[in-house]
Amino acid sequence: MAGAEETKTNDSLIGKRIPKMDAPEKASGKTRYVHDINLPGQLHAKILRSSQVHAKIVSIDTSAARALPGVHAVITGADVPWQRPIGVAKDHLPLKTDRVRSPRDEIAAVAAESEEIAAAALKLIKVVYEPLPIVATSEESLKSGATLVHGDDLIVPGPDGKPQVVHKGSKDNVAMTFDYGQGDIAKGEADSDTVVEDVFWLHYVTHCCMGVSGVLAEFDAQENLLLYSNTQVPFLHKREFAELMGMDPGRIRIIQPPIGGGFGSKLDIYPFEPIAIYLAKITRRPIKLVFTREEEFAASPTRQPVLLKMRSGCNKDGKLTFRDVETVHDNGAYTSWGATTPFVMMQTISSLYRVPNCRYRTRAIYTNNPYAGSFRGYGNLQATFAVEAHMDKLAEAIGKDPLEFRLDNAQEPGEVTPQGMHFKSCGFKNCLKTAAEHSDYQEKFRTSISKWNNGNPIKRGVGMASMLHVGGGAKIYQSDGCGTIIKIDDFAHVTLITGASEIGQGSETVLAQLACEELGLPLSAVTVVNSDTDIKPWDVGVHASRTTFIAGNSAIGAARKAKAKILATAAAKFNVEPDTLNLRAGCVIEKASGKKLIEIDKLIRSLHFSDKAELVMTTHYYEPPSQKQDKAFRGDVSAAYAWATQVVEIEVDTDTGIVKLLKVTGAHDVGRVINRLGIEGQIEGGVVMGQGYALTENLIVENGVVRNPNFRDYKLVTAPEIPEIDISFIETMDGEGPQGAKGVGEAPAICVAAAVANAIYNATGVRITALPFTPENVYRALRSNAQPPTWIAAA
Amino acid sequence: MSVSIDISFKLNGVNVRTKVTPGMSALEMLRDELQLTGTKYGCGEGECGACTINVDGQSLNSCLLFAADCDGREIVTIEGLATDARAEALKKSFVNSGAVQCGFCTPGFVVQAWHMLGKTQHPTPDQIRRGIEGNLCRCTGYKKIVEAIADAGALLS
Amino acid sequence: MDAQVATTERPAAAPVSDITAVETYVAPRSLAEALELLRAGDVTILAGGTDLMPQSKTGKARFQRMLMNIQRMHELRGITEEKNFVRFGALTTITELLDSAMVKSRFRALWESADHFASDQLRNAATIGGNICNASPAGDTLVPLIVFNARVVLARKKDAAVATRTLPLSEFFVAPGRTQRQPSELLTAVEVPLPPNDFVSEYFKFGTRPALDISTIAIGLGAVRSGDRLTDVRLAFGALAPTPIRAPKTEAALNGKPLVDAIEAALAAAELEINPISDIRASAWYRRELVHNLLRRMLDRVGKH
Repeated sequence: MAGAEETKTNDSLIGKRIPKMDAPEKASGKTRYVHDINLPGQLHAKILRSSQVHAKIVSIDTSAARALPGVHAVITGADVPWQRPIGVAKDHLPLKTDRVRSPRDEIAAVAAESEEIAAAALKLIKVVYEPLPIVATSEESLKSGATLVHGDDLIVPGPDGKPQVVHKGSKDNVAMTFDYGQGDIAKGEADSDTVVEDVFWLHYVTHCCMGVSGVLAEFDAQENLLLYSNTQVPFLHKREFAELMGMDPGRIRIIQPPIGGGFGSKLDIYPFEPIAIYLAKITRRPIKLVFTREEEFAASPTRQPVLLKMRSGCNKDGKLTFRDVETVHDNGAYTSWGATTPFVMMQTISSLYRVPNCRYRTRAIYTNNPYAGSFRGYGNLQATFAVEAHMDKLAEAIGKDPLEFRLDNAQEPGEVTPQGMHFKSCGFKNCLKTAAEHSDYQEKFRTSISKWNNGNPIKRGVGMASMLHVGGGAKIYQSDGCGTIIKIDDFAHVTLITGASEIGQGSETVLAQLACEELGLPLSAVTVVNSDTDIKPWDVGVHASRTTFIAGNSAIGAARKAKAKILATAAAKFNVEPDTLNLRAGCVIEKASGKKLIEIDKLIRSLHFSDKAELVMTTHYYEPPSQKQDKAFRGDVSAAYAWATQVVEIEVDTDTGIVKLLKVTGAHDVGRVINRLGIEGQIEGGVVMGQGYALTENLIVENGVVRNPNFRDYKLVTAPEIPEIDISFIETMDGEGPQGAKGVGEAPAICVAAAVANAIYNATGVRITALPFTPENVYRALRSNAQPPTWIAAA
Repeated sequence: MSVSIDISFKLNGVNVRTKVTPGMSALEMLRDELQLTGTKYGCGEGECGACTINVDGQSLNSCLLFAADCDGREIVTIEGLATDARAEALKKSFVNSGAVQCGFCTPGFVVQAWHMLGKTQHPTPDQIRRGIEGNLCRCTGYKKIVEAIADAGALLS
Repeated sequence: MDAQVATTERPAAAPVSDITAVETYVAPRSLAEALELLRAGDVTILAGGTDLMPQSKTGKARFQRMLMNIQRMHELRGITEEKNFVRFGALTTITELLDSAMVKSRFRALWESADHFASDQLRNAATIGGNICNASPAGDTLVPLIVFNARVVLARKKDAAVATRTLPLSEFFVAPGRTQRQPSELLTAVEVPLPPNDFVSEYFKFGTRPALDISTIAIGLGAVRSGDRLTDVRLAFGALAPTPIRAPKTEAALNGKPLVDAIEAALAAAELEINPISDIRASAWYRRELVHNLLRRMLDRVGKH
């Protein structure tokens, strides 16, 4: 333990470059992901997916598969009549019984002694289909007389054996609608001196976690279920799995091994998880089910494609007057979280800039395409793409500098927006100015335009975009809270048990830092436990950039209670008031003099081994001061809001359409930097993910079929392609945030595509409203050989 | 039943003997038969580099290498990068540079970087970026990985 | 040590073409041994494995009863300079091409294609012989090898002796994935005549990445510059027809003519010599535009050297 001489150093961990606590294990290949866990007696499961895009299932013959040596079970919907629908709208069964609506659809599953045998058994299953017309696009889906994707009731045998409708058939293909308004659009338009209107198309991309999906399921002798799962929301899933299986949630334990990437992909239950559970129940053996990469591409959620029509206006003084937006989301065959991204989109549309009159209407439409999930940014990439294009267009139309125009309309601290968001801390204007200054934006903007007609086929451009995102959780459930348990042992070793889930973002290190800051202990004194629902307290899950903020405040609360207990003990021992003492460098010290009184471990031992024996063990539950939105989508949904501006510099080769991202200059209002190394990593990774969305990634879906289910043709950004990245942190010290911090996880990915679109215009004078900016798409636009997106006539 | 092939080779400095099938990849052999799970499956097509191993001094995608072809060769996996100075420098710099997030791709990057620094001790940033062009990472944006490899090279001199 | 041989009974249910059809795995050490096995028939040849393994996993490759790994045959390795040509053993890896100073100075376009080839891990495994025998229209080394008038050497067992024949590479490809190689033959080497000392060459591969891309289009150009014109012009295209192709009419449009005047005619000729398709990587229209714009750019650059 620390000596007296160290008590003076008082080195705070906040804002330092702290290596991630689990990195040494990961860099040595010792970390065991779900793929690396093997249980004695386990069987390997594989899923038979549909060979059709949209069809009735006439018959399924599994007899040959069942007869194959090494096969323990083959199941279809008929074998699990008690299965219940899953997903956000509970509109599909894990094993499809009468109809397939997508080539990813699960028809049967095999449990066998090896993956090879399971794969061989799948080939022996015979399915007879009766094809139905394919609904390939939202446009076709909205036409009158279109084939209905969910026109029939979904019926399963009820508990009493009688048929039970679990999802009502619909009369059209609309899965979900949102309708939000503020002010008066007609008045706003009447007040405008300039109005612009565009239709934007935002394409399909998918998460591409480096670790493919997988799960292990096992029942013990007393019918308790143990899952090794990659879920981002273990407590929500405990309840959902319990409902699916007709079990007491208390009998379900979820262990979360380290996960090979999340990015929002693991917020919903997908069919493979209940299927593994069914097989575990039927075979009474542990079941391991792991995807192939091809399966990962074909059967994972997507970032939903959006067709977006936006009409915006401003007056000649440069103030926004109105914004009117309508969107159609391609929901795919089933409803997952993708359908609910309008919650986030409307925040950007209504409140990134001050716009008095605003309307936002959206419909999520069923098609036979891969279904849409949640993905880092949650609709904000799409909304920001359109909003920031119009900020540039309006500025140009009234002859204003685009930076000045944004500054004139940007939100400021203290603002309560018509949607009810209260921006208690807001560094937006500082973000705009900092990013512009550091990138020399205004000078480069003018220079690029002056070179439009200089004959050089290689053009340079600069583009700007900003974003607003929740930074203090998001109250979309009754609770947005997180619990922490802290135990400090006789050696002053801290076990920090947090409800928060670690998905590679570095939450365990940040939470340990925050606790150490209170307890005056080094990081090496902390073990973080965060992966077992039987041990850790409630947390709503890792999403909405909430973990540092919510779990951080929870960890601080628990640490402060432990600190109070330690100081009270010390105060009694030294006969002083507790508030004259502090904890630093492993010791109790006198606040005023910094003089060391006793080592913490020694003090705890004396407390433990006394006649008034006590443990230092505390709990804290943090619920943020935010509100659920009302039915009109009004309410202060987050305890804090994060802001950022990014300026990109690009080069366009007009002979090929290749756009190179040269540099990204960002300024992020993060409240306060807790772990500089970790936050840089989040931002760099997010920027490059945004680069992929803008330039290289494109999940090609034709008639419901994913045509490029591999990394050869689904192009993630590789190391030689990354831009120079220059990030500034705007520290607004949020009053509610842990040590002043706000959430940052999603923010960095949001602006890139929008900024690149503006930069392409700045470089070439051509405005492209459809993503992605792959070479052929850009080349076609430059040569006026592209079909710009158009609004759906039937809509 | 598939034909079974007896092979023997040197794995992380130790002689091993095992049976494999013709269609088995070195990756499957390492993970499923020899329980060396540090080498990861990411795509099975040589596009992501998560399964990178070193064979006779060359880095290869183990998902593309026929297990039978390991016979008589000398193989080093992430588990075997335990003692030499280059491996130690790399692991340390990956940790200290923040080059690890979810960590799934990390062993592949470390093995590839180990090979790269063996060929060129002080690669330029461009050489590093080209050297890891066959390794995909979805978390970090590569910047800190490139820095980590450069730091490890500097640490070695 | 002898080649290892292992056999088992053939499973009745397995489809003939997939990897489970393999009954015997052999790794011969000598050419004579390998050719004897090939003469007996039903052999699938394995070299670097970079194409064969993924094809075996997806069931796209057809496997014969015997899987023959030729990587233990040292006589198929090495780069040797003969008097008028250079001999590349079939097992020469792409990394060996890239690391060769001779290739970099004398066969620049070939070296550039190696530099644009996939990734380090794949370059370490993939072989020049495998790249040729896989016969992809987009195969990276094929376009420059055609520019350098490469010849393939095919060996087979005839009676007790080894017989070889040599074919120009430009005539070797029949269709995507199909070549003139007979099942009993093994491609043992590629012979590339040394070009004139003042021969310049360039390889262009379209993609957004330096490597790790399948060619959307590839162009190989070589020529001798004399004053304001090019002579000994050789031009080849990849991914613009069912096989990599030589472009003789475009070459003729350029050969010996003042370059400034010849470019438009050459671009028009190239337009007629290519036959691109539309696929998920690019449309035929875009491929044609790229050829037009980038061939012009290459010719401009060659002219300015």
